[in-house]
Amino acid sequence: MSQMLEHPFEADEVMAYLDGELEPQRAAALVAHLDHCVECQALTRQFRQISERMLDFQIEASPVNISNVVRAALDRWKSETETRKFGFQKLRAWRRLLAGPYGWAFAFVAIIAIVVSGISIKNTLHRERADLPLPVRNYIDFAALQPGVSGSGDALKGAGAIGKLSNGLDELEPKSPERVGPMIARTASLSIVPANYEEAGPTLERLATSHGGYVQTLTTQAHTGSSRALSETLRVPVGQLSSFLTELRRLGHVEEESQSNSEVTDEYVDLRARLKNARATEQRLIELLGTRTGKLQDVLDAERELAHVRGEIERMEGQQGVLLHRVDYATVEVQLREQYLEQLGSESFATRARLRNAVVEGFGNLAAGGIYVLVVLLAYGPSVLFWLLLVLTPAWFVWRRYRLTGGR
Amino acid sequence: MNSDDQLILEFQQGSRNAFCEIFERYRDPIYGFFRRRLANPARAEELTQECFLALLRNVTRYEPRATFRSYLYGIATNMVSAERRRASREIRSDDYKDEGPGPLSGDADATLWVRRALERLDNGDREILMLREYEQLSYAEIGILLRLPINTVRSRLFRARIALKEQLMPVKDPD
Repeated sequence: MSQMLEHPFEADEVMAYLDGELEPQRAAALVAHLDHCVECQALTRQFRQISERMLDFQIEASPVNISNVVRAALDRWKSETETRKFGFQKLRAWRRLLAGPYGWAFAFVAIIAIVVSGISIKNTLHRERADLPLPVRNYIDFAALQPGVSGSGDALKGAGAIGKLSNGLDELEPKSPERVGPMIARTASLSIVPANYEEAGPTLERLATSHGGYVQTLTTQAHTGSSRALSETLRVPVGQLSSFLTELRRLGHVEEESQSNSEVTDEYVDLRARLKNARATEQRLIELLGTRTGKLQDVLDAERELAHVRGEIERMEGQQGVLLHRVDYATVEVQLREQYLEQLGSESFATRARLRNAVVEGFGNLAAGGIYVLVVLLAYGPSVLFWLLLVLTPAWFVWRRYRLTGGR
Repeated sequence: MNSDDQLILEFQQGSRNAFCEIFERYRDPIYGFFRRRLANPARAEELTQECFLALLRNVTRYEPRATFRSYLYGIATNMVSAERRRASREIRSDDYKDEGPGPLSGDADATLWVRRALERLDNGDREILMLREYEQLSYAEIGILLRLPINTVRSRLFRARIALKEQLMPVKDPD
């Protein structure tokens, strides 16, 4: 076979040709060569003889028992697979997806998303804590409904209500009333879990009205998945406070109660003194204008000063009215909280909403994360690149010189 | 007639007939594979069953990266390797003292000559030669199965054939 080295074909090429493993062009050339090369013809005969001799190593047919065992196993497998088919196919699809390059890309993106989402969640939680008291508030000016204040009892809105309140206070308190003894502004606060939450609200307002008081503010809360709550600020005549509180306690279980008194005597006396001085000034200015003998400019100055003093007087009278109202009408803050009973099926709505919000927030975080990465790249990329070039370029020259000189 | 690769994909989709077709095609070749490599015919029968059961269990993980034939013989090759390792660990291994085949059909003398000649070959070369001659695998399939480059398969196959020729057809001395 060493003689084959002189031939244009190696012996193993002849073998590959006989095995059908030689390239077509090379095989065609070999066929042509075999027509006139006796040695190569002898070689092919030898290879064929080897194959034929090997076929003498015969094996009997496989036992029938194999078939029975395998078919029985196939039946078992078939019945088991039918039940798991769907799950396995889905699992296989995911495995194929995650095992490829997409899996690595997905992992990279997921890590970035998790990091960015973590930052966003932290910020969101911080923001939610700051925004926590966001109940549905109904700001109604019930002062206008106060019996004996507005006189009409109609519900008033907007600026009209404010004007009516101001007028009511004026009517309630005549100008510069004299008060004897300490002036106390009384405040009470109750937190109640009523026996019947539905009726507690109207009962509360009815009680306030029957005691000559009124509802100043009203706030309701009805969050999904938690108990309802009602907060009211009531104003009742101070003489009725004790009996009013007694009746309030009958609404249900009082969880918390507190009362406080704030003395405003000094503030009232000071206000009255300033008001008295302002009125005296007003009187002098009026007298001055009535007997004027000076220049026109002096008259104009006096009138301007008179207008200013009158404005001050009106402002102080308003403050005085409010102060007296605080003393005459005690402030009662009532919080009614429903005893919460978990509703069957109520969670599904909350869960859907939460999932939907999570998806929206997830996309938001994803976008924010992408922008954040972009911002970081733009903010720090050039400087990092610059410093790398600055440090690595001399280092590369030093290394190159070291390599060229062989460390000498 | 469906190819092996089509059949295995149909079987993946749950076709029982596809597996039966595969089994009928390969039951004798796989049995022959084990029978030529193991001395114990009963063990060859068991491993043949195990080979098809392994195919059954792992069909969900099958991916058509190469031919089905190379995949199936890959399972069989791994099982033979495991069997040989197990046999070498056993203290009493009368059945496995010599991994040559036991009594076979056909011409007993001719079979014995070929078997003896094969036993004298290098293990790796013999495996390549047997995969080519008896299992009719292509060079590429053998390369995938034994994790060898095609050129290496070709050169080792050539070496094995030359060595076998010297065993079976010694050059007659002209003197």
